[in-house]
Amino acid sequence: MGTIEVRGLKKVFRQAVKDPGLAGAIKHLFTRKFTEKTAVSGIDLTVEEGEAIAYVGPNGAGKSTTIKMLTGILVPTSGEIRVMGVDPFRDRMRNARQIGAVFGQRTQLWWDIPVRESFALLKDIYEIPEDRFRRNLNTFIELLGMDEFLGLTGRKLSLGQRMRADLAAALLHDPKIVYLDEPTIGLDVAVKENIRGFVRALNRELGTTIMLTTHDLKDIEDICRRLVIIDHGRIIYDGTIEAVKDAFATERTIHFQGTFEESRLRELADRLPAAEVTIHEPGHFSVRFNRFVTGAPEITSQVMGVAEVADFRISEPDIEEVIRKVYEGGIELPRLTGMGA
Amino acid sequence: MRVRPIRGLYLYWRFISTQIKAILEYQADFWILVVSAVLTQLMGVVFIAAVFARIPSIDGWGFWEVCFMYAMIYVTEGIGSLFFEGTWRMLRYVNMGELDRFLLRPVSPVLQMLASAVGMNGLGNITLGCALIAVSLRHVRIEWTALTVFWTAVLLLSAVAIRVAINFGSNCSAFWNKSSGNAVPLAVHNVGEFAKFPITVFSHGVQLFVSVAVPFAFVSFYPAAYLFGHEDWTRYAYFGPLAAVYAWAVAYGIYRMGLRRYESTGN
Repeated sequence: MGTIEVRGLKKVFRQAVKDPGLAGAIKHLFTRKFTEKTAVSGIDLTVEEGEAIAYVGPNGAGKSTTIKMLTGILVPTSGEIRVMGVDPFRDRMRNARQIGAVFGQRTQLWWDIPVRESFALLKDIYEIPEDRFRRNLNTFIELLGMDEFLGLTGRKLSLGQRMRADLAAALLHDPKIVYLDEPTIGLDVAVKENIRGFVRALNRELGTTIMLTTHDLKDIEDICRRLVIIDHGRIIYDGTIEAVKDAFATERTIHFQGTFEESRLRELADRLPAAEVTIHEPGHFSVRFNRFVTGAPEITSQVMGVAEVADFRISEPDIEEVIRKVYEGGIELPRLTGMGA
Repeated sequence: MRVRPIRGLYLYWRFISTQIKAILEYQADFWILVVSAVLTQLMGVVFIAAVFARIPSIDGWGFWEVCFMYAMIYVTEGIGSLFFEGTWRMLRYVNMGELDRFLLRPVSPVLQMLASAVGMNGLGNITLGCALIAVSLRHVRIEWTALTVFWTAVLLLSAVAIRVAINFGSNCSAFWNKSSGNAVPLAVHNVGEFAKFPITVFSHGVQLFVSVAVPFAFVSFYPAAYLFGHEDWTRYAYFGPLAAVYAWAVAYGIYRMGLRRYESTGN
């Protein structure tokens, strides 16, 4: 039984179909036409205590909708969620005590009052004992460098200050699970580094379970060990970050060293489907190929038939490339079965 | 989860006092709001006085009695603004996804919403309204016993509770209407205009409507009937607390239904 257990989770939004203008609005009163938009269509997910998982996917894939159901903001259309044994929507307040959440686009602070007083209100909201509150606050002030803006009101904070204050606000009550939705979006490099280091320490040293959605590959690499990719409301990958390239990088390149005749190499390239030969310099050439069309052993044996190969190496595909493709919605591959963390 | 009224009251006070402090510190112009509220209300009183200069009574109800009803509508509106202005923010909270913030905390979202804003203009309504009530009650021949004091207090509290429930329930229409703005809550709010006058002048349909559907009559008319001793209506006045419970149950039901439709958009 994981800290977070999700079974068959679905969320369908109903959108009213209205013709424009007043006439359309009145017509809608009588006809009530709706379209259904499935944001999350049947997700199973188990997160163990102390894990740090990155939850990524293109815009509109259902990331935020999932997080909002996990935090109890949205009610699932169907399926089941247990967060530390609690149904987050039905038992929202109990769930709220054990989680912390930062939504990069939206602050949890009060606009009109100084940050310090926002924290004091949160102390009362979460009933944090005085000594623990002091200790946590002092730690966060130091680690997140908040001294300079504690006296400012929410509205006067810069984005970087606001994000740090929001992070502290979400953690004052020592939540066991923390959801971070785009926590570094729009921040400069130094603040990003600061926040990453802080979150990593939270996970590694305090054992806090982290679920992170982000567009930033560095966030993922620095904080998470496990990667879950969602697209069109479904999980299409769940495994280690290292293994994602094995699952999704379609193109491989083998670099060869040796002696060869250029014309024969060109002939070979025409024979091999979805492969491309590049000659770099005398004695050096490489073959780029789609590994789901032709396997690496096939490529090497074919090449060895036409060239005297002295050495070769397969270049590692780039994780960044894969993640970028995920966000561009460019991943359309046979779904791999039996993937595990 | 256990309901803890003392903690709820404490948190309410913490939230609302924070808001008040912020306004006093950062908004120097709130006095303008207060003064304009007082002036608006004075115009209403002048209007009633003008009506009663021509006719001695409306359907058996005298000047001070109508003044009292009028003042009750205004005082409760003022209390609604000053302490529960958050109800009028529901549209924004729902449409901009700001309700998320309340839903993420281990405190009733309704309590957080109620205490999320302060309308200083309420101060004007309350001040003048209370003065009007005090003056009109001096023209009543009522024997102040422990029981009448008790019932007066209960009816006034119920009146406030009903007013806030109506604001809350009608503003929950935000969960259904994404684009029509405040039209529904404003329309419901204006039903209160009926209750500034003795409802006996209206048809039975209207009487029933402002007593049951949108029970503004329990804010002004029925308490007036009790205090000014209009025997034939007094017996209904005792339903005041029940009407308050009923109004809150309906409003809360609408809210729960709406919450299931909440989409948290605006990201």
